Amino acid sequence: MTIERILEQAGVPIVVFVFCMYFGIRLLVFQDIEAIRGKNKGVVRDQKGYAIAAGKLVLFFGVAALGMAALIFVNLYAALGEIILSTIVLGVLWKRMNDKYGA
Amino acid sequence: MEKTNQQKVKDFLINNGVIIVMFILVIYTGFTSDNFFTSNNLMNILMNMSARLVIALGIAGCVITAGCDLSAGRTIGLGACLSGMLLQRMDYSGKFFPNMEPMNVFLVAIIVMAICAAFGTVTGFFIAYLNVPPFIATLAMMEIVYGLGLMITGATPLGGYVKEYTNVANGKFLGINYLIWIAIVVAAVTWFIFNMTRHGKYMYAIGGNPQAAEVAGVPVKKTLILIYMKAAAMYGLAGFMFGAKAGGASIQTGYGYEMEAIAACTIGGVSVTGGRGKVSSAIIGVAVFELLKVALQYLGVDANAQYVAIGIVIFVAISLDIRKYIAKK
Repeated sequence: MTIERILEQAGVPIVVFVFCMYFGIRLLVFQDIEAIRGKNKGVVRDQKGYAIAAGKLVLFFGVAALGMAALIFVNLYAALGEIILSTIVLGVLWKRMNDKYGA
Repeated sequence: MEKTNQQKVKDFLINNGVIIVMFILVIYTGFTSDNFFTSNNLMNILMNMSARLVIALGIAGCVITAGCDLSAGRTIGLGACLSGMLLQRMDYSGKFFPNMEPMNVFLVAIIVMAICAAFGTVTGFFIAYLNVPPFIATLAMMEIVYGLGLMITGATPLGGYVKEYTNVANGKFLGINYLIWIAIVVAAVTWFIFNMTRHGKYMYAIGGNPQAAEVAGVPVKKTLILIYMKAAAMYGLAGFMFGAKAGGASIQTGYGYEMEAIAACTIGGVSVTGGRGKVSSAIIGVAVFELLKVALQYLGVDANAQYVAIGIVIFVAISLDIRKYIAKK
């Protein structure tokens, strides 16, 4: 398997992984919630709690993207199923997190 | 405090710096190249602009609400592949559905838009009801759409389209290409939605201040879902247009176009901080971007160096937009 083939087939999930790592670390280390919420979204109840929980969720999605990148070469259906499931889990957990720490 | 004329001129030059520089570049290219200011070249630029304008108009709605849509490129790819699958010739050896007659071209465009709109609705639901930030929700949708596209096409390029489909790109009405007409109609409909409907007003209100909009009775969630649904339908249409123009498609079609569209919107004046932007902003942005690319080609700039030049333009345009936002605050 060549690097070209890996990048061609799994390039998108790898880019998503890198994105998520960047934002996840930015949230966990710098607690910069504006990076994902934007500037006009108002204040949150608990900035530190929000940043840590959001950072973990973003990292979770990054790992899920990496999982998809690997699964693409094994079974496309499994890769698609994995990312759909991860997205649903992310959405539900994000809602819970937002209800707990958000505005 | 009232601004002096000198300050007004300075602000104008800074705020429209990118457009002014592009304009000078185009004029320079026109005078130094023989074939730049020709009707053929103009028509070619307009054709290249058409599908990109449709994407930019879709993304403009998301950007006005201080969001973004990273799934645009992949949705365009899916739209192009779906259009191709349904419009292959019966005698084509690699036909995707060997026993299925090619469908009506307009019907296919509507089907593709509807399918893509369904993905946009899901993205909108995640953003509106689950409060997932737009960039994460659209990133997730980008992966899902990419995975689906890979699964459906098996990463195989599509070709062998019926003549009626390729005619969408080659045919003309009143001397103007159909693709350009499609872009004009989409721009007109979008202008109507942005300026004449309640939905358009809600969109600007959400972009300005979502909390104030909610307090004022704006149905924020419903509006956000509609915006992402509408945008995805436009990406589907853009995919259909790209497929017709290229005479083929693959899941890689449209790769990276979301970034170009966001950049074009920003260059034109759609604010990434939300609440500001017009249809004319998207048109100006796409035109500037396309003219820049063509001018660089005419000037013989290396293809790889063109990416650097485009990157610098995006960087400057977004920096100027942020400067406007800070000055406004």
